[in-house]
Amino acid sequence: MSTELKRALYNLSALADLGQEITSENAFHEKMQAVFYVITGTFLANKGAILSYDGSSKKLDALTQKGFTPADLVHLGAEELMALEKNEPCLAKDALFLAVIGAEVLVPLWVRDQFIGALLLGDKVTAGSYTAEDLELLKIIATQIAITLNHHSLFIDLSDKLGENHRLYEEMRRIYHGTIQAFAAAIDAKDAYTQNHSHRVAKYSSAIARELGWNDNDIEGIYVAGYLHDVGKLAISNELLNKVGPFTPEEVEEIRKHSTLSHNIAAKINFPWKNVEDMVWHHHERLDGHGYPDELGRESLSDGVRIITLADSFDAMASKRPYREKMDVQTALVELKKCLYSQFDNKIMLVLCKVLDKEIKGELPEPEILPNLDKNSDLTIISSLLEGIIAELSATQSAA
Amino acid sequence: MKPVQFSVASKLVGDAAVIYPKGYLNNLSGESLVNECGIYIRRGITKIVVNFSETDLINSIGISLLLQIMEDLRNIRGTICCTNMSKFLHDTFEMLGLLQHMIVFPVESDAIKYLKAGTR
Repeated sequence: MSTELKRALYNLSALADLGQEITSENAFHEKMQAVFYVITGTFLANKGAILSYDGSSKKLDALTQKGFTPADLVHLGAEELMALEKNEPCLAKDALFLAVIGAEVLVPLWVRDQFIGALLLGDKVTAGSYTAEDLELLKIIATQIAITLNHHSLFIDLSDKLGENHRLYEEMRRIYHGTIQAFAAAIDAKDAYTQNHSHRVAKYSSAIARELGWNDNDIEGIYVAGYLHDVGKLAISNELLNKVGPFTPEEVEEIRKHSTLSHNIAAKINFPWKNVEDMVWHHHERLDGHGYPDELGRESLSDGVRIITLADSFDAMASKRPYREKMDVQTALVELKKCLYSQFDNKIMLVLCKVLDKEIKGELPEPEILPNLDKNSDLTIISSLLEGIIAELSATQSAA
Repeated sequence: MKPVQFSVASKLVGDAAVIYPKGYLNNLSGESLVNECGIYIRRGITKIVVNFSETDLINSIGISLLLQIMEDLRNIRGTICCTNMSKFLHDTFEMLGLLQHMIVFPVESDAIKYLKAGTR
């Protein structure tokens, strides 16, 4: 095999090496270092550098280099390089500034009309000069490097924009939640007996949804619905909400308007979560179709509605009302159980019991129900009751 | 065939360091060869034998790394000897004109003998 043929094969192999390194999954700087080795190994250059142009500072930065000092590279003005022919190797004999820094050849890197940087090489270790074939090969390699640098630059721009969008989204989300919590605080301010009720319903509902395996977005949706489910009470008079004696039929009808009012208010908001309005609207519906406002049957009630309904009733039972004292947790659980199938969903009840049982046993890292229960509760009794309900409901569901 | 992970071993024989690269010298892991030589150079060793008996193939990256070692030794007026080269390695170095910048021996013991003789 002739030396020319061997050299051609070596050059071809170098191009393959370049492609492999450019497309590798290595981090950008490792990739550039490997590409730099390919170039210096191909042309046997004693010095070299891959320079990247920073459009904002109008300066060239060395991504990787060997043999040049920082002072050498300062001599390279970006404007001077931009005046050279795009992606064409320029020899020191044609550009005095290259000879000054001891470089033998430079290729200004361009992609379309964008200046990307430069590839710089020194003399050959073997003291030979760059041949026409070398310069052709260098041009091909330089084009590939220019495209790689441009892709990286686009990727960085995109990452920056993505990061900024993410930051704005998180900020918006924070404001959103703040606004929703302000709504809930307004409801609580009207009704002295339901202090933090919306917060607890939000917490209980999201805990049940999480145990059911919902995704984070849907959990956030039901959390928001929990906060807003009683927002319609803002339109109900304080006197009625805080009335101690029994309600007249007209008063009951007035109070019952709050779920539709909650829906009307929530419907004005373009939520990024599914079904918030539905969960808010129907949190007083029953499986047997005797709920309000629409007397929907079980087939029309989503899991979200069933969760909010149960969480709302559980907290209402365990809280003091103007017309009755609060129930202890175990009494509230027994009451809920009595109303399964007619009012509440047994599957959701089973999940509520499982979550609470896990929280009592310390099996969940961030308990959401337990911290909101009466501090004087006897957890041993509650846990024992929960185990019984879980066993019974699990057996019923298995049989079904 | 599963490629052999590139690795480097070395030992000191008299005042010469013998370096044993193992595997395909074709990526950034080959920097360990430069680093290994650098350790000896910093200790004042100026004679390095690279025994290529377990490295049959080299690419442009490997050549670049080898150039770095040659340059590091040249800067301290040192000597690099290459031994046990495969035909591919020998032909590649010859085609690139690198044989003039290194001393080649068929086997490691010949290189050691040569370097010992040079110190007398």
